[in-house]
Amino acid sequence: MTAPFTSAVTIDEALAALASGARPVAGGTDLVVGARQGKAPLPDALVAIDRVAALAGLDDADGGVRLGALVTHEAIVGSDAMRGRFTAVADAAAIVGSHATRANGTIGGNVMNASPAMDTGGPLLCFGGEAVLRSTAAERAVPLDELWTGPGTTSARPDELLIAVAIPAPAAGTGSAYVRLEYRRQMEIAVVGATAVVTLDGGAVQHARIAITALAPTIRRVPEAERALAGGDGGDAAVAAAARAAAEGAAPISDVRASADYRTAMAEVVARRAIAAAITRAGGGDVPIPASDALYGA
Amino acid sequence: MAATETATTTDTFIRPDGKEKVTGTGRYTADLTLTGQAIAKFRYADHPHARITRIDTSKAEAVPGVVAVVTQADLPDVRFGGFVQDRTLFAKDVVRFEGEIVAGVAALTEAAAVQAAGLIEVDYEPLPAVSDYVAAMEPGAPSIHPDLAAYEKDENIVAEGNTMAYSTIVKGDADAAMADADVIVRGRYVSDASQGVPIEPRAVVAQWQGDEVTIWSSTQVPYAARSGVAQTLQVPEANVRIVVPLLGGGFGAKCDLHFEAQVAALARAAKRPVKLVFSRREEFVAIAQRREGITMEFETGVMRDGRLVARKATLILDKGAYCGEGGFLGQMAAMHACGPYVIDHVAVEAHLNYTNNQPSGSVRAPTAPQVCWGLEQHMDEVARAIEMDPVELRRRTLIEAGAEGPTRQVFDEVGMKQTLERAVEMIGYGRDLPDDEAIGVAVGWWPCMPAPSGAYVHLNGDGSGTIVTGAQENGSGAVMAMPIFVAEELGMRPDDFTVLYQDTAAANWDMGSCGSQTTFNSGRAILAAAIEVRDQLLDAAADELEVDREDLELAEGTVRVKGSPERSVPIGDLAGAGTIHGKGSGDVPDAPTGDTGGCVGRLGNETFLAPQLITQAAHVKVDRATGVVRVLKVAAAHDSGVILNRRGADGQVTGGVVMGVGLALSEGTMLDDEGRQRNPALLDYKLVTCADAPEIEVDWIQTPVQGAGPRGSKGVGEPPQVPTAAAIANGITKVLGAQVRQMPMTPERVWAAAAEARS
Repeated sequence: MTAPFTSAVTIDEALAALASGARPVAGGTDLVVGARQGKAPLPDALVAIDRVAALAGLDDADGGVRLGALVTHEAIVGSDAMRGRFTAVADAAAIVGSHATRANGTIGGNVMNASPAMDTGGPLLCFGGEAVLRSTAAERAVPLDELWTGPGTTSARPDELLIAVAIPAPAAGTGSAYVRLEYRRQMEIAVVGATAVVTLDGGAVQHARIAITALAPTIRRVPEAERALAGGDGGDAAVAAAARAAAEGAAPISDVRASADYRTAMAEVVARRAIAAAITRAGGGDVPIPASDALYGA
Repeated sequence: MAATETATTTDTFIRPDGKEKVTGTGRYTADLTLTGQAIAKFRYADHPHARITRIDTSKAEAVPGVVAVVTQADLPDVRFGGFVQDRTLFAKDVVRFEGEIVAGVAALTEAAAVQAAGLIEVDYEPLPAVSDYVAAMEPGAPSIHPDLAAYEKDENIVAEGNTMAYSTIVKGDADAAMADADVIVRGRYVSDASQGVPIEPRAVVAQWQGDEVTIWSSTQVPYAARSGVAQTLQVPEANVRIVVPLLGGGFGAKCDLHFEAQVAALARAAKRPVKLVFSRREEFVAIAQRREGITMEFETGVMRDGRLVARKATLILDKGAYCGEGGFLGQMAAMHACGPYVIDHVAVEAHLNYTNNQPSGSVRAPTAPQVCWGLEQHMDEVARAIEMDPVELRRRTLIEAGAEGPTRQVFDEVGMKQTLERAVEMIGYGRDLPDDEAIGVAVGWWPCMPAPSGAYVHLNGDGSGTIVTGAQENGSGAVMAMPIFVAEELGMRPDDFTVLYQDTAAANWDMGSCGSQTTFNSGRAILAAAIEVRDQLLDAAADELEVDREDLELAEGTVRVKGSPERSVPIGDLAGAGTIHGKGSGDVPDAPTGDTGGCVGRLGNETFLAPQLITQAAHVKVDRATGVVRVLKVAAAHDSGVILNRRGADGQVTGGVVMGVGLALSEGTMLDDEGRQRNPALLDYKLVTCADAPEIEVDWIQTPVQGAGPRGSKGVGEPPQVPTAAAIANGITKVLGAQVRQMPMTPERVWAAAAEARS
């Protein structure tokens, strides 16, 4: 029988525990909260990976970045590399949950929880992030849009541990933003979110990636919105067209947090704000992090 | 004592319970563990409305570790309730809301208790559920309490069909006066139900010793809990002792009898202590104490000069499944539909209707913030209709000394208009703002609640003192501030005193922490007791110093000769014999009289004793595209009479305003068609956070109240909740040019109103 709780200090120890059926826990902000709410019982066996030093680094890699699974949201917000080159990820990490959530919650847990409302998901997706998964047998890199298969489900196998999220270097002239609809300023969960990663060349939008959050069973990019923006001047009309396209890519539900109609309308508003902020940042303009706060005013 | 010295004392005073709460060493009810205790779990109804055809507890009783299973069949056949006795401790025959308790289990482990509660077999015959509290009063609506006519009830309750209490506030002839008005304005508003949400979920621990039971409970009203236990378990009140460890907030939601009797029944059956601790979900679903949903229709006749000639209103309130202590809600709401205005003719009716929803009860200023939110939007609309600035309309129509209330109560000195002027001054009303910002202003009132109280003050042999009070500390600091007042009376230091409180075996009956009345009533009793002590000290010192007692004063821990402070005797010496002790109650102020003969369903709120008067102004910023509203600043000017503890009073306003922002913008209980809560969790029942709190500026219009509260004071706890949402609403309307007619004014609702304004 698998030990109900073990604590690993090396990746190999963690992988061995996973191979025998344990589930990993680091910050516990999804697993423990979910169990307390009755969403999912705690697994029969847990392996704590919070002391695995090899998972803790936030490292530059040829202009890109490698986020170890244990990197916290707080660490992302505090990283000059993330704020400078991957600003949308910093926007998102700065508004996840509460101060306590950001201090304890890890990017690894966030990615593998596969919530369609995950704030960091859209930015990581638009920057071309890949999940580095390892088992006792092998390591592989899986693009995030192939990792997330549905709400709370991934294509990772039970014996695979997320080691890191790898993000390639963005092109010169890239700016990005993540904007979320916020009913209140802390302890919020995405009801509607949008990410834009835009590369400017001269006055023109050379390249654009746009994703929507909490508007479909998984976080998804919206190619129609990206096409509406790419190649244009990034002016108000182009931004508006891209935002409309982003909203048309939504498949929202009605629930206690919002009606589908409102979500759809907000998808356009929030996408427009995200795209505009990304263009401003790409052009060297200043939009404070997190972009959401700045957009709602004081 | 001079006013400046008083201010110094309260400014530097550190409340006795502060350090333990802040450092985490404080003990709350859930922290108690008694030797041999069992854990309680409840089995709740499986349907919002159904007849129980069979309960079989045998499988639960067979679970190893189970020490008791209790249903209503095991208990006296007693119904309880404040105005209508309509509920039993455990369901009898019929369940009427999703949080109804069908049975209780006590077991040696929590897991066994959970398992056993799930194994109780209950067969039901479902009945049609009524969640729509307006439809509940239509002819042919399914009956929630078919035996209502036969229930014991207050003689002034007027009940019919699913309407548990019908009441009216009537003055003159509103219909006739309306016909003569220059302009008639009508408006309809709907406020959703909401919750008190104390951060400490309820906990109860009960232990029997012989025929006597001690119950530790997180209640705001230990004496009401005691009488409820005594009534439902048929034991003398003398055999029931309620002790409240530190209370982690209540906001009204911990008023009334709440689970003390069920846990005591389990402990008696188990023959060992039993402990119940609620989950957050239970704290939402199972308590019979939430803020009521209200549908309001107002009609006001006004002259072009602003004179209010007539007000008609119909209020329909969601009582939920049972009365509890909330029988008065309809009449209270009716008074708030009049507001602190001079109105020539009034006809307001309120229908407090049973439904299969969670029961409603007192949550911080019950009914007032919702009705004020509707009325004050309506008043702004009245102002627009006569093309008058809304502040100017209020300036012309608010009550002042000598004015007549809705039932012809004549007011003494009231600082209502002064609160208006001060609030608009603090907020900078009328200045230019960006086009997505605006300032809304709203007024409101809240009565003082007269009630008996009693206290003892003992001086100990070393000159320290003990205050014994039935008052309950809910976190506001009202009880914790009592040493200040006693010390001021006796020329001693607040630190010289400790307070024995929250124990029904120690002190006299007290209303508890509700109705903004702790200082008002309990403070009066404590001061009366302190004055007895003062008299005894003066007599003893007069003997000791051989001077006339008229020549003596109490100061700096001594009794001394006026003008010759060197001739003194330390209070500690006088107390050395241990015979200095005072008791007191003070005179309970009378409710004011009025012409209430035309009112139906009079339950005590048809006049307002020493009303607390409030103006609040809110500076809001509205994101038209999303409907997200941020409250940038609230200015609060209150007449709560003489302020005895400025820091404590300011704290009440700060907390009340923040709670009001939540009520206004995000806090609403959502129900399905059968009355089940859809958001009974803190992720989707959205309290505002510190980050959302506006800048709050507070000032006090200190109009001394005659013959009511101690030292000319009134209450302070509930008023800040009253007009906060209303002021925010009026600010939103100014930005949008459209009203948001449903509360909470969520982003989606504000967005919809903005879209309506555009089209």
